[in-house]
Amino acid sequence: MAEATSPDGFLPLTPAVFHVLLALADGEKHGYAIMQEVEEVTGGKVHMGPGTLYGSIKRMLAAGLIEESDDRPDPTLDDERRRYYRQTGLGRKVLREEAERMAELTALARRKHVLAGIGSRSILT
Amino acid sequence: MSEVSGRIADGSMRGTNGAPVPIDLSVRIYHRLLAAYPGRFRAEYGQHMAQVFRDTCRRDYSRGGLPGMMALWARTSLDLARTTVEEHIERGIEMNREKFVRWSGWALVAGAVLFAAGLIIGNYDSHDMDPIGGADAVYEYGQAAGLVLGQVLFVIGLLGLRAGYARRSGSLGAGLLLLAVIGSVVSLAGLLAMSSLEDGWLVWMGGYLAMTLALAIFGIVAVRRRVFSRWNYAPILAGIGIPLLFGIGMVGVDSLSGSAPEWGSLLAVVLTSAGLILIGYRMQADAGEASQALA
Repeated sequence: MAEATSPDGFLPLTPAVFHVLLALADGEKHGYAIMQEVEEVTGGKVHMGPGTLYGSIKRMLAAGLIEESDDRPDPTLDDERRRYYRQTGLGRKVLREEAERMAELTALARRKHVLAGIGSRSILT
Repeated sequence: MSEVSGRIADGSMRGTNGAPVPIDLSVRIYHRLLAAYPGRFRAEYGQHMAQVFRDTCRRDYSRGGLPGMMALWARTSLDLARTTVEEHIERGIEMNREKFVRWSGWALVAGAVLFAAGLIIGNYDSHDMDPIGGADAVYEYGQAAGLVLGQVLFVIGLLGLRAGYARRSGSLGAGLLLLAVIGSVVSLAGLLAMSSLEDGWLVWMGGYLAMTLALAIFGIVAVRRRVFSRWNYAPILAGIGIPLLFGIGMVGVDSLSGSAPEWGSLLAVVLTSAGLILIGYRMQADAGEASQALA
């Protein structure tokens, strides 16, 4: 993973890496905020433990997908010991390519009527 | 339910940090369990993992009370078990990689010494076109052994160089290191085929030229990107001599008078060997430091 320099080399992403990149898509966050967002956007279906979270963060930092940020949204409201992370340019490209890859797969599944509910709705409309 | 267990359940009983006892106790236990991770990972992320766990404890306890804490512990135990194994495996792979880089660094040093010795011994062979054997057999066998063993060690050394430094060399640097490895393999094949193939020496020299040229250009990348902790110029030193010698040869070595060609060859061999020894020594030193940090 670390030696890949083009976005393609990182695909497919593990669910944990995809969720962390997705959580950082709208701005920098600290570890707990990333974890909370993953739980919220998946409706509580994905729980990321501290080991999974920081193991992924370690590998993503090494691969250049994310970086640490010195900025604090509001230093008076936050614990300065927390580390904030943000996407890098490479991280943004990798996330976009993974999302496109998943969208293509979803479109293929829809064409094959694998997604029964969605497929039948599209036939009716 | 006793009075104490009732106070624990409703959160009115406080731990030493002022947090409800179940949170305080959970955080203390989690702190202890972090010892299962490799030391380097724990030093880098342990405090942050504990902070995330503490925040999650507070949230789940306020939402679900003791049952919420039990569910959190069930998830956290699985997470701990899986990720400690993952981190230890990853650390093991890293340590093996550093060990390989370290030994291949020594291989490069030994290869440079043997190769240079082989070439220098070969100069004492007065009849270099005759079959191996006869009065000058000692020089011929010495040369063959030095060159072949040296070339084998170059292949190992350059594989280690790529394994240890491709990641921090960028795509161009990694590509050049791959070219150097391929060049060394071609050169070894040419050397081994020399006795049976008439043009074997051309394959040997072609591979050797590709190897050194790739190293010289990689040296520029190394200087710009600070690939090694020190001596980033060493690949330029290792790679520049042979291509320069070829360049001068193509311009017209005949125009050089007296013993200049011999001195030029000797200088190229000394430069190449010195550069390879420096690279090899730096590889084993950098890998040794990295292994200590991983331990």
